[in-house]
Amino acid sequence: MTAIDPLVPVGEAADADVHSDLASLLRVWRLAGPLRGKVARGVAFRFLQSICLGLAFGGVVWTVTGLAEGRTMDVGWAWQLTALMAASLCGQLLFGYLAARDSWLASFELAGDLRLSILDHLRRLPMGFHLSRHRGDTVTALTSDMQMLETFLSDALGRIAQAFALPIVAVLWFLSRDWAVGLAMLASMAAALPVFMWSSRRLARLGVVRQDLQAAAGARMIEFVQGIATIRAFNRLAKGEESFRAALEAFRDLSIRMVARLSVPMALFGATVMAGVPIVLVVSGLRHGAGAIDMATLIAALVLVFAVYSPLLGLSQVMELVRMADASLTRMDRILTARPLPVAARPAEPQGFALRFDAVDFSYRADRPVLSSVGFEVPERSMTAIVGPSGSGKSTILNLVARFWDVSGGSISIGGADIRTISEERLASLITVVFQDVYLFAGTIFDNIAFGRSGASRAEVEAAARAAQAHEFIAALPDGYETRVGEGGATLSGGERQRISIARAILKDAPIVLLDEATAAIDPTNELAIQKALARLVAEKTLVVVAHKLSTIRAADQILVLDGGRIVERGSHDQLLEGEGLYHRLWQTRSRAAGWRIK
Amino acid sequence: MADISVEGTELDGAGEGKRTETGGPDYLASLKLLGRFLPGSRLAMGGAILLATAAVACELAPVVVVYKVVTAALSGTLGPAYLAGAAGLALLAVVVGYGLMGLAVGLSHVVAFDVLCRLRLALARHLARLPIGWFADRKSGDAKKLIIDEPESMELIFAHGIPEGVSALATWVAVSVWLFLVDWRMALATVAVTPVAFVLISTGMARGARRAADYQRAGARMNASVVEFLAGMAVVKIFNRTGESFAETARAVRAYAEVETAWAEDYLPLGGTFYALVLTNVVVILPVGAFLMAAGSLDLATLVLFVILGANYSQPLMKLFNQFHTLAHISMGSTRIAEALAAEPQADSGRTVALASHDVVFDEVSFGYGKEEVLHRVSFTAPAGSVTALVGPSGAGKSTVASLVARFWDPRSGRVTLGGVDLREIGLSQLMDMVAFVFQDSFLFSDTIAANIRFGNPKASDAEVEAAARAARAHDFIMAFPDGYATRLGDRGQLLSGGERQRIAIARAILKDAPVIVLDEATAFADPDNEAAIQEAIGELTAGRTLLVVAHRLHTIMSADQILVVDGGRIAEAGRHDDLVAKGSLYARLWRDYTEARDVVLKPAGVSGQIASEERPS
Repeated sequence: MTAIDPLVPVGEAADADVHSDLASLLRVWRLAGPLRGKVARGVAFRFLQSICLGLAFGGVVWTVTGLAEGRTMDVGWAWQLTALMAASLCGQLLFGYLAARDSWLASFELAGDLRLSILDHLRRLPMGFHLSRHRGDTVTALTSDMQMLETFLSDALGRIAQAFALPIVAVLWFLSRDWAVGLAMLASMAAALPVFMWSSRRLARLGVVRQDLQAAAGARMIEFVQGIATIRAFNRLAKGEESFRAALEAFRDLSIRMVARLSVPMALFGATVMAGVPIVLVVSGLRHGAGAIDMATLIAALVLVFAVYSPLLGLSQVMELVRMADASLTRMDRILTARPLPVAARPAEPQGFALRFDAVDFSYRADRPVLSSVGFEVPERSMTAIVGPSGSGKSTILNLVARFWDVSGGSISIGGADIRTISEERLASLITVVFQDVYLFAGTIFDNIAFGRSGASRAEVEAAARAAQAHEFIAALPDGYETRVGEGGATLSGGERQRISIARAILKDAPIVLLDEATAAIDPTNELAIQKALARLVAEKTLVVVAHKLSTIRAADQILVLDGGRIVERGSHDQLLEGEGLYHRLWQTRSRAAGWRIK
Repeated sequence: MADISVEGTELDGAGEGKRTETGGPDYLASLKLLGRFLPGSRLAMGGAILLATAAVACELAPVVVVYKVVTAALSGTLGPAYLAGAAGLALLAVVVGYGLMGLAVGLSHVVAFDVLCRLRLALARHLARLPIGWFADRKSGDAKKLIIDEPESMELIFAHGIPEGVSALATWVAVSVWLFLVDWRMALATVAVTPVAFVLISTGMARGARRAADYQRAGARMNASVVEFLAGMAVVKIFNRTGESFAETARAVRAYAEVETAWAEDYLPLGGTFYALVLTNVVVILPVGAFLMAAGSLDLATLVLFVILGANYSQPLMKLFNQFHTLAHISMGSTRIAEALAAEPQADSGRTVALASHDVVFDEVSFGYGKEEVLHRVSFTAPAGSVTALVGPSGAGKSTVASLVARFWDPRSGRVTLGGVDLREIGLSQLMDMVAFVFQDSFLFSDTIAANIRFGNPKASDAEVEAAARAARAHDFIMAFPDGYATRLGDRGQLLSGGERQRIAIARAILKDAPVIVLDEATAFADPDNEAAIQEAIGELTAGRTLLVVAHRLHTIMSADQILVVDGGRIAEAGRHDDLVAKGSLYARLWRDYTEARDVVLKPAGVSGQIASEERPS
């Protein structure tokens, strides 16, 4: 029952692949799977409901023809008509209820099932899939897109059936009486069909155009909102408002131009359908004059003509739903057609925990290589630091070890086994990643730490927290380990959250640690605690670190200097300093930064 | 601005409370709001209403025509000429009717776009004059929602509500009057089903509403669960726990489906019946007509008229019902907009005051965001031309102090003065000329680099822009772009790295040439290789100014003229670095932690010493 404005663009239908309406119906049908029976039943009941309504109009025809043929109305006949109407009403109520029941329940069930299968698919997709798209898009596919599909199944399908049921029955009946009247009735529908298809495609196309333009204008408006603090700070309110007003007015003018182009097809469709009224009027009148049809058929045609055409008018709104559902389906398809990482038929078992990159190439998009023939070895329980300018591909190396993506060329192996041949579970058990952004789940601190190892005991969790310098502040909280974090939970500082995530990693106790060293400054006390926690985490591990701290870099057994996706220098700190290359320069600027003081 | 994030929105919470007290949405909120911006479009709106009403008349004309033809046929006077005339009239009515409706829809959209344009402009003007704190209190998406999304959904009211609502109402009134004029008994038969149908749907919705709370809870739970499932995906995969995370989300999805189903079971018997009933007025019309005819008090032509007109009697009411729903649907957004428009703009004396100096003084300043007080009677003086550093643990209130200097908020008690004058007495425009700030995350506009720098001073020449860029150590990387200073920055400056954006922001501040500068963790999020350049840029920016700096990297403020150690919303101690270290109190501890943190080395094989250091008492 949501009001729909055909002039308002649908979600982000920017996918220019506008499907035909029929194709959308087929896509939904394919998705319906085991619920097809129920969906079809819902549609069939809706159809039957309309047929029952047709029965009432049959009663009208019966009355009018009888009276036109000279029969007089008597109480007996009136009772018969009443009985017929009662039957029609009961049928409509029954089938109307059954139709709503089947289609609604089927739509809820289908949306639930589909959500589950998309979620199940999502978790099998490589992390790269999730990182390479806006999280909001995926959430939309599971929430509002799915709601769209529910509306489509529960509402639109039934309305389509309803729109066609009465016209079909009426046309068939008139065809059986007289071909000319039947065809006359059909004529405007046949003419309306291409108009409908044309206008629906035009609406869809214009919708996409408007959406792009709207997005552009919207972006300028949003910029004003986001920039308000800056605009004010620089005393440039007048200029800011001026450009906001310009964006706003451009958007308005554009919208008005679009309306002019959009209202024509909508009005044209309605007019074409309703042009059937004069056509039927003339044809049935002339056929009656020519003696081809009797008075009864003439009057029946005149009485029914509105009942036949008015449901069809509702179709233009329904098609709006179809279009929206189609855009939603396209977004769902994008998830469902993404492929999980290939799984090895015979999983390999790594011998030891040495890590090796062998001529690894990688790119997110074919034309932009991120890593080119990167090769290095990290012996077991040694430390490798990766340094280089921003955008040189440092974090990508960590992401590839965690198999967020698969390499485009070359190979990565752990303990001699290509990571593509190691089972997903085994690989996950081998590595721990400490990200810059900490993610804590809604739940207690205990849950969040215990997440590191299934079935961890209270004592183990506490030991991990102690090792991560987190026990003290946790114990100081009113609810201790049972304190809830995340949305609506306790507010922890960035440093505290970081320590909880390290405790989680310590509990996991994986032999390989991948660390993306934080660049954000936090207060000294937290920083010291984190540093100690990390030192504890990496003890006795194989460590690869994207390093920012001078102390970290200097302590590494091996430093890889990355530039533009290639390793340009490698060696120990002392060796590299002698080289006077990129590392030497980086080291100097960093040392200078470390010694800088205000004034 | 880490310290400013607060959960309390008490100041604006009053409106929320009122809404829940009265219960239910204010259906007319949208109309009231939009009505304020209607002047200027009254004529066009009147036109749209007239056109829509005329279109309805045209829509009804074919019905009259068909009725007349039926009458003629029954009386045997139906000839070809009559037919042709009738058909021509009907065709004309259809064509004119849809033409008028098209025009009405077009015109009403124009009205809608005009009104929304005015609304958004007024809203933008108003938001721009609210205290900056108003924004810090809200999620970053809220203002966007208010100015972009909510008005967008209101378009429906004018664009469709007017032509469709008016035509539905006009049709309903016209048909009802007509039917009652022709035969009141048959008219009663026609309308009989309609009230029953609407009572059913209202009851059905009321029954469904009992589950509304469950429904909303289940929906919110599912959404939150899906968001968390995705947001935590990387962690879940690393810890190989996709099974559990999936299980929880799956439970939420199933629970939602169950609530939906339960709601439908409640609602369907009545709601489902409604949709059948509104289509079926004819089942009452025919029997009543038949009995009246049997009694000899109704003729065939009249019966036919009622059958034709009555069959769709409920349709216009359905449309009105839907419009009403739209109103309810968007009322929340309208209420929020109305609240934002009612929020008090920041008081602005508008005066230009002569300032004796550029000393910044906090005099017994207390401040809080919600109920909780964050700063307690803070007093200090930042003398003109000196460096004052604010240090302390997270959440101590350092950033809050900095933001008060820029009047993001006004103190609850006490006062902040510049050159001896209370900030509230200095016109905002003058104050903003006096104070420049650089934050962790700088906002750049999607415009050219030159325009972004020139934002600091619109009158600056190209040479001055370049000089500022050179001083901010930004000139070299700018020139490395093919278009140099004319390079357009994309959405929020994504072309640049964080450090590069920061240097452009500093160039902008340099060009502004303000005597008071506030740096809030200005180097914190930059990548280390940019840090040196940013530091040099800051050196240029701050030379000879009154500087307030919030810092965690203590070595950067070692030579500050004054270090204020903020703890729990109070100034715990103040002094120069050496004195504070010698004092052996909070700052000394921070300094020890800071230097020690640099000495803790990550080393897989050489870790034993570190574990020992951990045991040291702190």
